Amino acid sequence: MKTLLVSSALAMLATLFTPAHASEHNGAAMAATCAGCHGTHGKLRNQEFVPLAGMPEAEFIRAMRDYKSGKRQSTLMGNLAQGFSDRDVQAMARYFARVK
Amino acid sequence: MLNRRDFIKAGAALACAAALPARAADTAAHVVIIGGGVGGATAAKYLKLANPKLRVTVIEANRVYVRGYGSSEVVTGHATMADLNVSYDALHQRYGIHFIFDTVVGFDPDKRQVRTAGRQTIAYDKLIVSPGISLQYSAIPGYSAALAETRAPSGWIPGTQTALLAQQLKAMRQGGTFVLIAPPKPYRCPPGPYERAALVTEWMRKHNPTGKLVILDPKDDFVTDASMQLGWHRLYGYNIPADFMKGMPADVKNSGKPAPIEWVRARDGGTVSKIDPKSLTVTFAGGSIKADVLNVIPPMKAGKLAFDMGLVDASGWCPIERRTFASSLHPDVFVIGDASIADVMPKSGYSANNQAKITAFAVANLLAGRAPDEPKWKNVCYALAGSDYGLFVADVFRLKDNKIVQISGHRYMSLDATPTQIRLGAAYQQAWLKTFTEDCFA
Amino acid sequence: MKTWLSVCALTLGIVSLAQANPAAHPAARTPTQAELRNALAAMPNGDALRGKRLGQQLMCASCHGETGVAISRNWSSLAGQTAAYTYKSLQDYQQRGRFENQRARLMQVAVTGMSQQDMADVAVYYASLKPAPSSAPRLSSAAHARAEQLARHGDPARLITACASCHGAAGQGNKLTPALAGQTVEAFMRTMHDYRAGHRITDANQGMRQFAQRMTLAEINDLAIYYARMGKP
Repeated sequence: MKTLLVSSALAMLATLFTPAHASEHNGAAMAATCAGCHGTHGKLRNQEFVPLAGMPEAEFIRAMRDYKSGKRQSTLMGNLAQGFSDRDVQAMARYFARVK
Repeated sequence: MLNRRDFIKAGAALACAAALPARAADTAAHVVIIGGGVGGATAAKYLKLANPKLRVTVIEANRVYVRGYGSSEVVTGHATMADLNVSYDALHQRYGIHFIFDTVVGFDPDKRQVRTAGRQTIAYDKLIVSPGISLQYSAIPGYSAALAETRAPSGWIPGTQTALLAQQLKAMRQGGTFVLIAPPKPYRCPPGPYERAALVTEWMRKHNPTGKLVILDPKDDFVTDASMQLGWHRLYGYNIPADFMKGMPADVKNSGKPAPIEWVRARDGGTVSKIDPKSLTVTFAGGSIKADVLNVIPPMKAGKLAFDMGLVDASGWCPIERRTFASSLHPDVFVIGDASIADVMPKSGYSANNQAKITAFAVANLLAGRAPDEPKWKNVCYALAGSDYGLFVADVFRLKDNKIVQISGHRYMSLDATPTQIRLGAAYQQAWLKTFTEDCFA
Repeated sequence: MKTWLSVCALTLGIVSLAQANPAAHPAARTPTQAELRNALAAMPNGDALRGKRLGQQLMCASCHGETGVAISRNWSSLAGQTAAYTYKSLQDYQQRGRFENQRARLMQVAVTGMSQQDMADVAVYYASLKPAPSSAPRLSSAAHARAEQLARHGDPARLITACASCHGAAGQGNKLTPALAGQTVEAFMRTMHDYRAGHRITDANQGMRQFAQRMTLAEINDLAIYYARMGKP
């Protein structure tokens, strides 16, 4: 039973990185660079950082746009948002919105 | 001890022994990872996430990982040595990653096999090496590995020296001098020496208020430079050099009085020429100083294994093809983390974690006959100027003409950051220690 | 049950990474009614204009939104919240009496150095703003009816008091009892789950803890949407 759970959980996680997703302007790979703070697949249990898993696309895009422009104050997100194009942000948004 | 040629031969000699086949007809490709630090552990996990069918084996010498990031907090008693321990159980149990706790003693790149001290021969389809750094103890005359284990710890790779340094700080005479020798570039954890200096100074303000810390530095700048010095100024009355005053808030005025923290950089004679192991007197270009506690962060090169495996060039680091971090020297081998030549990417845990992911995806793609994606990497290093004074360096990188270039603008906490931003930076640093460890190891 | 346990164990990962139970946070405690009364009596008169400026300086706006409508799912909306409740929450964070989850640490950091006057100003500013009803998908009419029944009449059989009896018929709140109308679904759910699990213990008579425990997860979910959409035409 336990083995079954492990393998099905892993398979579930893994589908998020399957090639079909990766080909979409690399959203999965780019999103993975956020995981050091926002958790693997954007999932966090109980942490100070905002979980990105399941975040509606529009919310992610607006946040990154406002960080980039400086409209939304931050510690370091403003710096990081500078490094991503609109297309990058769109691809990451699509990826995170799909994570259940 | 084997030399490099013997090491590689040792792999070849054993190849005819009962080597496990890399791939039976009906089984998936086998990716072997040498080194279970941040780079190796993250690569293993993300390979399994990219393709659960891959067989992933990690060869690692130690059963428990001792994290380097945040380890200066042990020196000042904010954390214990036990807090630094990270288990491999989750990677094994959750992801089915196979662990071999052993050291690699042989490597045959032609047959794609490595051999361990425990006489196992392990065949791979792709090999990811995350060898970390080696400390060049003897690069500074008078310093040595033996001295580092006794009177003048380095503690840059966490372990007994970290605990020793903590003891020495506690035992230092009132009004004593803590000398920290900073390393030349490139080195692991760029803001680290300056964060350690800050935390030690903060500790002394409480427990040894007449104590003093001096940084001797062979460089003229460092990562987080002006933002860290502003923190030192506000918290400890540090005098900021004139050429760093540009952009400082209007209320920043040097008192000119001796401060408990002093940074002697290269242009002011900070380059150390020798250490007297008996008296702990340090001779540097600008003079000499007798240390009560001496913390030497020596020059660094790629980890020893990278040398043994023939993965380094004349620089002492591992040349790679940047898109995938494939070794320029051996086929089907990838070198990630501090040991790799990654241009402007700092040698940090976050960099290693990001390189591991991008390389894991690339390896999974290559094994499936697909081209690797266009990579983007990120680095985030939090650093403290004091327990409640958080700083950072944050970058995004991409590939340009087969070099890694920085594409984001500002890198550091801005000099006009509000007190709230600064306190939040410190809170996020503590949160990051947990989330980052989970992303790598759980 | 056994399956559930093993899933939990897996999710938690390795032991050294497991979270400490936030409720076990040493300073977190339940206030007495007298303490609440005294705190409210000592609240200075707030200045909304000054509160608005403070909200920007102290980075409140970065998560709670410039107009008090949360732009982060991690944080609650504050527009239209009662001044007393916001004021008391800030005090609780500063005095470390409230630590329902790790996010509380960020609030503790954010309120460092705030004076009573600062807190009152910020609280009055957010109270002056209009809540924005959520665009969360409408409940089915049956679910809506069930949520409304609980909100207006409670469930005497389970000793659940009507939400409206304290939080108001329009979810507008009353002094130290928070407004619910226009609160985000995420914040409402999180609060109820924190009460249910005993992580949040700032309810003076332990009422919210008991109500939350007596409700089903589906009821909490429906109430969250019911209140989030309240006031939406």
